Amino acid sequence: MRIARRISRRTVTAAVVLATVLPLSACGGGSDAGSSSDASGKIEGKITFQTWNLQANFKDYFNGVIADFEKKYPGTEVKWVDRPADGYADKISADAAGGTLPDVVNVSPDLLAPLVKAGLALDLDKSAAQYRKEYLPGAWAGDQVPGVEGTYAFPWYLNTGPLFYNKRLFKDAGLDPEKPPTTYDQVFDAGLRIAKQSGGKIATLANVPTIEDFGRYGAQLTNKAGTGFAFNDAKGVQLLTRYKELYDAKALDPQALTATPESAGHKFLTESVAMNPGSALDLGNFKKQAPNLYKNIGITDQITNTGKVNMYVMGVMVNSQSKRKPAAVAFGHFVTDATRQMAFAKQVAIFPSTAGSLDDPYFTKEDGTDETRVRIAAAKSLKNAVNYTPVQFSDQMKTALGNEVAKALQGKQSPKEALDNAVKACDRLLQQS
Amino acid sequence: MTVPATAPTAAAAARPAPGAARGIRRHLAYSPWLFAAPGLLIVAVFSLYPFVSTVINSFTDRRTLLPGHFVGLANFRELLHDDMFWIGLRNSTLYVLGVVPALVILPLLLALLVQRHIPGIAFFRAAFYTPVVASIVVVGLIWVWMLDDRGLINALLETVGIGKVGFLSDQWLLLVSSMAVTVWKGLGYYMIIYLAALANVPRELHEAAAVDGAGAVRRFVTVTVPAVRSTMVLVAALSSVAAFKVFSEVYLMAGPNGGPAGEDTTLVMLVQRVGTGLSGRVGYASALSVVVFVVVVALMLLVLRADRKEDA
Repeated sequence: MRIARRISRRTVTAAVVLATVLPLSACGGGSDAGSSSDASGKIEGKITFQTWNLQANFKDYFNGVIADFEKKYPGTEVKWVDRPADGYADKISADAAGGTLPDVVNVSPDLLAPLVKAGLALDLDKSAAQYRKEYLPGAWAGDQVPGVEGTYAFPWYLNTGPLFYNKRLFKDAGLDPEKPPTTYDQVFDAGLRIAKQSGGKIATLANVPTIEDFGRYGAQLTNKAGTGFAFNDAKGVQLLTRYKELYDAKALDPQALTATPESAGHKFLTESVAMNPGSALDLGNFKKQAPNLYKNIGITDQITNTGKVNMYVMGVMVNSQSKRKPAAVAFGHFVTDATRQMAFAKQVAIFPSTAGSLDDPYFTKEDGTDETRVRIAAAKSLKNAVNYTPVQFSDQMKTALGNEVAKALQGKQSPKEALDNAVKACDRLLQQS
Repeated sequence: MTVPATAPTAAAAARPAPGAARGIRRHLAYSPWLFAAPGLLIVAVFSLYPFVSTVINSFTDRRTLLPGHFVGLANFRELLHDDMFWIGLRNSTLYVLGVVPALVILPLLLALLVQRHIPGIAFFRAAFYTPVVASIVVVGLIWVWMLDDRGLINALLETVGIGKVGFLSDQWLLLVSSMAVTVWKGLGYYMIIYLAALANVPRELHEAAAVDGAGAVRRFVTVTVPAVRSTMVLVAALSSVAAFKVFSEVYLMAGPNGGPAGEDTTLVMLVQRVGTGLSGRVGYASALSVVVFVVVVALMLLVLRADRKEDA
């Protein structure tokens, strides 16, 4: 009995010590100790390349790219890992915290920023500066983080999309279906009219304004140094005030406060919402899932008051902790070079970020189809497009902005108060990051 | 026949030598631990370690990718001033108050209904149990479609002239709708527990009560309820812990922001929102988790104490 009790005490003590020490040992994640920007040396060895939900549709394309790379650099081997869209950031954070981040990773700028701050992304201005001139200057700058020197990912594909509208719903409201709105004020006026004519049954938009809307409306998003947010300026307040007007008139879908882009798209598909942003990919969906909508589909440019549309940027980051940096950098460049990007753009409706690629006839020559029309218009608008999502704008900040906007729309606080609170919350989150 | 005094008795022969006895005692002390070791290891790695780690992290400002520093009670002080924490606590508490009474009473009534041995009753038992085995994501999506502005239920309400109800847009209706889904999904599970308890209620008690002239309601109150009271306490304890930790139903129906302006956020949703992602505040989320743990333990103690009082 005594022996058993002694063992029990010993076991408990050991368990407590282990349980105390082990978590502390895990507190080392994120250190950039041991990392270096030096990527010179022989291109060889096995590397891992992680993409973001691309395997299902582009398996052959990526297998071809990998085979070409391995042929060009004998002695290299690329293991391709693809992760689903849902929870991609969580997967990266688990890998990053656990020290199992792949050598080459597909990231968007907002995912890149925390990885840069944790010292996990390789500075390409130091390690791969020779490739810089191959990319559009704006795209190269898109993978920089305010307050941190350097560029941390190869620019990959760009995307932007038109605005779809339902011509039948426009016509029913007495609006000219061939003259869709082009500015925010025109959208708001059209929305109020559609809501009035339909007795509040048809909304014009199904989403509350996001940070991109504030940018396109002309609000200043951050201060010049990028150390704080500033979308509570006069333009920001004006935008939210007009949205409140829409919400009160039921021109904004009643479920907009809880909507996701997917649910808003569904509302447009079922013709209860008159306008929705999208991409050339959506045309195929409309044709297949909503033939009646497809017959009445109108396509117009993104609504913007600044003359510059929003673009989404994808990048390819090299893990600064990679043991095969020369091979990882070489592959990061290989998969994003002009040849590969152009080939990828011909597989799916994306746009290359490499210099001169958008002048290819594929992006300039009409062939009479809607898909080509959308592609050419998007490629044209990309030449002066802006990524309105600040790289330091995290998911928590998106939630904070969304919640304050919702309070303003419900009338619980004024638009000015809501935006002041949102900026305050985002600034606090930025300081804590 | 006399036994020589020097001859060993059977008992003495069976007694091991002193050295061997120590070996057996040692063996007896170790062997249970060896049998328990795999289970203990699993518990230590997957329960004890994360728990202790969470408690330690709650005193740091650790982030997903950045090591933390000890900050004392700063996280706990911060959550006292965090509006979202109070919203989460309010909603999780309301969830317990709304869901637990329904999950204690309705499955018992359902169990009484399906315990009868009539032809085809197995089909109904299986049917009531089906939501339990269905994936919560599937269940959530089905209910979202039904409760949508243009969903089945609103279409029916419009047909009968009531008009559309904002099940998925109103802060309170969203919470109530989520509770309804939780109850709907949990009914079958607790029904099975009650069926097992009801099977142990002596039939003679019902017969005696019937002879005394008690009707069905009186028999339920005076015979059935006392007989399954300990099961009711168990159901109350299990369902209150599950209700306080609710995540999936509200997340699926109210969206990732937790309803309009986040007003439907529950505590566990808040832990997920704050603590995950590349910019996750692991330290602060751990402090929230510790609060959830304390409240859940308090809830359990409360239910068990109420049970003891009833027994006394």
